[in-house]
Amino acid sequence: MVDGPNAFSYVGFSASRAKRGSALPRRTVIVGGGAAGLGSAGGVKAADPDADVVVYTQYEDVAYSPCGIPYVHGGEIDDFQKLFLAGKQAYVDAGIDVRYNTEVTAIDKARASITVAGEGEGEGEVRYDQLIIATGFDYADPGVPGGDLDGLYYVKNIREAMEWDKVLDTVKQAVVVEASPLGLEMVTSLAHRGIETHLIDPNPWALAEMADPDIMAPVEESWREMGVTLHFNTSLEAFLGEGKLRAVKTSAGELPADLAVVCTHKTPNNALAAAAGLKIGSTGGIIVDERMATSADGVFAAGDCTEIPHGFTGVPLQGLTGSHAYAQGKVAGTNAGGGSRAYRAVYVPWGTVAGKWVIGGASFGETTATALGIPHVVAQADGISRARYYPGVHKIKVKLIAEPGTLRLIGAQMVGGGEGIKERADFLAMAVKFGFTLHDLSTMENVYSPPIGALNEPIVVAATNGVNALAKTKRG
Amino acid sequence: MMSFSGWLRSNSQHYLLIAAHEQVAKRHGTAGPRAPRGLTDLFWLRIFAPVYRALPWPLRHRVLKAMPGSHRKTWAPPPRTRGPAV
Repeated sequence: MVDGPNAFSYVGFSASRAKRGSALPRRTVIVGGGAAGLGSAGGVKAADPDADVVVYTQYEDVAYSPCGIPYVHGGEIDDFQKLFLAGKQAYVDAGIDVRYNTEVTAIDKARASITVAGEGEGEGEVRYDQLIIATGFDYADPGVPGGDLDGLYYVKNIREAMEWDKVLDTVKQAVVVEASPLGLEMVTSLAHRGIETHLIDPNPWALAEMADPDIMAPVEESWREMGVTLHFNTSLEAFLGEGKLRAVKTSAGELPADLAVVCTHKTPNNALAAAAGLKIGSTGGIIVDERMATSADGVFAAGDCTEIPHGFTGVPLQGLTGSHAYAQGKVAGTNAGGGSRAYRAVYVPWGTVAGKWVIGGASFGETTATALGIPHVVAQADGISRARYYPGVHKIKVKLIAEPGTLRLIGAQMVGGGEGIKERADFLAMAVKFGFTLHDLSTMENVYSPPIGALNEPIVVAATNGVNALAKTKRG
Repeated sequence: MMSFSGWLRSNSQHYLLIAAHEQVAKRHGTAGPRAPRGLTDLFWLRIFAPVYRALPWPLRHRVLKAMPGSHRKTWAPPPRTRGPAV
């Protein structure tokens, strides 16, 4: 056996521990340096400050916000350096050994070891006491010819994004493939950048896998105002070109393009886990319990490579947000470090900027509830974000989805002009979680202060409209 | 290779969403999805989706929960209100 990359520090630890008469530190190996991986590392250290923690990442950096990349491309953030949250020294100081540019190629559960590719120091077989898999996601393969052409951009790695940002200066026409959450952000960013932008998506409206058409209508209108051309019900058929992208072939014809930004949905990056025999669920994510423990002893998983049950239906979900990944990492790390912490089923508050609007929601919308066949009623209202006379007031549309009869909230969606959507989404996720009803929400107290909130809170108005409409139906 | 449950989840999710797009678009008077093409689309959209919808939600829910996945492991029950704080 070749001992791990941290052999010298391991000896050092054991010497200092020996003086204190304690056992060898536990070694936790973490595969992946994204939000889940680094959350895990912090969780381990919080539970056991003496633990030996080694993080393997295939990239040159950790601790940056990949979710901020579209906003640098769009010019809202002026420098990629601002996306870095901590320097490499911060991890050294915290006693977390991050191994950059490394590739973990295998997990051997029986030997409690991983294999790190290459022949150099610290590579080969590395033993662990606990393993945390935080391998994240890949974009779904578009599965069309021309996938190897230059000019296809998958937004993920910050160093690559820095190079692509220079390319964007030369791009005249871009095609964004699929109106996923990232697709929405990239369409908006490219339009801000003044690039002629086309969006193609196989569905009838943007973000149709989670959002409702009436929520997306103002967003789509604003994109048109920004010069974006939208192609819905349009499938990708091929990337065309000789070495370099020249055009994107779609079911509705060819679109000339210097750049295609591929924003297909996230699929779990689980080749390692599957090859090691860990149980995988119907979403393709690693099956975990509330401790983020996998089917193998001493092996935990967190982030986009896992699947987590929805709190209302129990149906497992995969590909949540960075905040979910980080929180899951904390839980996995705490438990791997000998502590005790539970993650909970999710109600998925979400939100993003899209065009000139902010959209968001929690749990189910009308479309997803309809798809699952969950009986529901819809209560909605058009309100305002602050006093109607106060400068900067924006419209807000709130849609509440509730169970018939009990009127218990099962989800919500919103679109507004810029403020308050995120906070309402967070609140409404908790309202779903704790079983609030439309009656509860219709009698909710709210902050009133002209610069920050209107007299009538749009959530209250939507819930009241719903209660009144249903009462009228019963009377009628 | 994708498991049966993975195949079923992937296809049912995809086509139930398209079927939902048809219904929701009709309700809102907006453009719906394109018409089904080929036998696979027709099967999932014109046979599977209506049969799924015809089943009562408690039965559908039971079937969904019977699929393998994280939901069958240990998870804390949903929170309950605990009474007055003071």
